[in-house]
Amino acid sequence: MRRLTKIAAASAVLALALTGCGNDETGSTTGSEDICEGSSGNGPKIGLAYDVGGRGDQSFNDSAYVGLKKAVDDLDASCKEVEAGTGENDADREERLRLLADAGFNPVVAVGFVYSPAVATVAAEYPDVNFGVVDGYATAIKEQKNVADLTFAENEGSFLVGVAAALKTEAKNVGFVGGVNGPLIQKFEAGFKAGVEAVDPKIEIQTQYLSQDDPQQGFENPAGGETAATGMYDNGADIVYHAAGKSGLGVFDAVEAAGEGYWAIGVDSDQYLTVDEAQKKHILTSMLKRIDTAVFEYAEAFDGGSAPSGFVTYDLKSGGVDYSTSGGFVDDITDQIDKYKDQIIAGEVKVPTAP
Amino acid sequence: MTVSAPESSAALVKPTAARSYRIWIYLAVLVIALSTTRIFTGADDITSSGTLRAAVIAAIPIALAGLGGLWSERAGVVNIGLEGMMILGTLGAGYFTYHYGVWVGLLGAAVFGAVGGALHALATVTFGVDHIVSGVAINIIALGVASFLAEALFTGLPGGGPTQSPSLDRPPTISVPGLSGWTESLEDKGWFLVSDLAALLNVVVSQLSLFTLVALVLIFGTGWLLWRTPFGLRLRSCGESPSAAETLGVNVYRYKFVAVTMSGALAGMGGAFLALVASSGYQNGQTGGRGYIGLAAMIFGNWRPTGLLTGSLIFGYTDAARLRSGGESVHALLLVLSVALLAIAVWQLIRGARLAAVLAAVVGGLGLTWYLRTDTIPGDFTQMTPYVMTLLVLALASQQLRMPAADGQRYRRGEAG
Repeated sequence: MRRLTKIAAASAVLALALTGCGNDETGSTTGSEDICEGSSGNGPKIGLAYDVGGRGDQSFNDSAYVGLKKAVDDLDASCKEVEAGTGENDADREERLRLLADAGFNPVVAVGFVYSPAVATVAAEYPDVNFGVVDGYATAIKEQKNVADLTFAENEGSFLVGVAAALKTEAKNVGFVGGVNGPLIQKFEAGFKAGVEAVDPKIEIQTQYLSQDDPQQGFENPAGGETAATGMYDNGADIVYHAAGKSGLGVFDAVEAAGEGYWAIGVDSDQYLTVDEAQKKHILTSMLKRIDTAVFEYAEAFDGGSAPSGFVTYDLKSGGVDYSTSGGFVDDITDQIDKYKDQIIAGEVKVPTAP
Repeated sequence: MTVSAPESSAALVKPTAARSYRIWIYLAVLVIALSTTRIFTGADDITSSGTLRAAVIAAIPIALAGLGGLWSERAGVVNIGLEGMMILGTLGAGYFTYHYGVWVGLLGAAVFGAVGGALHALATVTFGVDHIVSGVAINIIALGVASFLAEALFTGLPGGGPTQSPSLDRPPTISVPGLSGWTESLEDKGWFLVSDLAALLNVVVSQLSLFTLVALVLIFGTGWLLWRTPFGLRLRSCGESPSAAETLGVNVYRYKFVAVTMSGALAGMGGAFLALVASSGYQNGQTGGRGYIGLAAMIFGNWRPTGLLTGSLIFGYTDAARLRSGGESVHALLLVLSVALLAIAVWQLIRGARLAAVLAAVVGGLGLTWYLRTDTIPGDFTQMTPYVMTLLVLALASQQLRMPAADGQRYRRGEAG
């Protein structure tokens, strides 16, 4: 019995150790290429804190990394990346930001709106360090000179893919799958609907949110995404646009199962480039959210001595949002889409932010 | 929930013929009710083959987790660690399917889940740790182990990353050539009852995943194994009265250990279904509490295989309905529910249960008013539908529930007085 107790104790310790690894706070970033390892330039020292998922998520964390890489290449910057674990609270995030600030990194860029409260707190403690929050609302909590919220006009990008969907639909029926029903994703929905209606107000638009409040059910639920999208295709839609993070992978599974003549529209990054070979022929276009541009331009502005503060919006005009043309499926309608794009940039078309 | 004292013999004999006969009547009433509602409201999606197929896919992982719970609790060990074992299963399925194909993937998921189950057995059976404490610990450990291993196993693979596996092949599906087309065209006609039954048949004869068949074999196989064989009788006796079993020469520790390990394997297979059939790959956080729902389905199902399957199907159906044509379908289901409650009110009144009758009438009346005054249900409420529906059915059926008598109790060898 005593021996068994020892074994149990040992396995418990091992399990705890493994759990610790899973949530490794300062986590070493894995992967073959690592831009920060060898970076020792004289430019800005950039600290980058990732959201859950980290580098390699083929989504916004990776997009932030692209911006960081560009900063290292073009601005001769040096950098450090830190990753987030699952189930963290604000105190954990604050500690991670202090770690970067204490190590002399300036500016510090946090990826993801979840960092907003932590940045609002930590920025007050380090008035000489500049903080940028991608998708953030830290300014709304507390206005500070050294804090910038790098936000995007997702509604404008969504408007353009809405136009593409309206021009391409033969069934005169399109769908929108959202992750969590809140102001952020409603911006996507509002823009998409406005884009479809601008072309043809008679087109039917089906809308479905996967969850009202639970990010896990909304953004990490490919099974739910597939059920929702299959329902839309069954009910007559031939194009579905998703703004549901990884649940969107289920939307792509659904379009593949629906077969020839059915389309899906990707979000955030050019998803044509990352989906399976068999699904490529169904990805009409993607709404691009250029987090890489935001990260790079923030670093560049800091390097030039004028780091922005408050809400900074990256819109169509600044190239912060756009649509992708990979696969060549929208080549025949780019003229028309670009016409709307010019009108939005010129301010002739106003895109709503709430449906 | 009311748990009555063990009815010594009734629980151990097979279900009577009258009981299984009653299930078919319930089912027929349900189909007729849904079909009538479909014609009346025009909410065609509530009995479409698409919804029913999505319902089955949503139900099977929950049912397998519940089946795992059944094995464990029938042997007297409460297993709240099903969620964690399911997480291990999704990871095992992701890794082994990528390298060796779907069938090895299913096996790998079962093995990963069984490891979690064996850990639970070690803690609860060998060391006599409180079942809830051990289960919760396993849920936490599994989450950490899975995210650690996912980063180690999937980083750098094409299409994979630290939090997700590459996209994986799905298990093969079968379609019966003539029948699948025939049922589809019959469904499109929109006839009363005929089209609904055609849709139901279509789910069986078209695009049926082989994993679904495996799951059904496991569920009904468990019913046979636990209720028709000496092995099953001994296993259940460990959950009813371990001391009595011990005096009759049953090695209670061994039976409990086998049952809890098997429990983990089944929950792991539920995870495999989730990762391979419901989605096309492993992802962190994919289970989203389905293990707990499986546990609830098992309790609602009165610790019986057919019961837990029914519970899972109710949950899966309402979940699929709300995810597909959200507002419209749930709005139609509200009508079904309200009418059903009013019918229950009348029935309770005849039986003389005034309080229950008034309660059912009030809730049913409110539901009916809500239905008549609106055209759709807002998203905040559609999201709750699966839970509300399951809770309501649970509340109505709970009077007859009986858990294994020694479920959750700590058992030590040789303490029989």
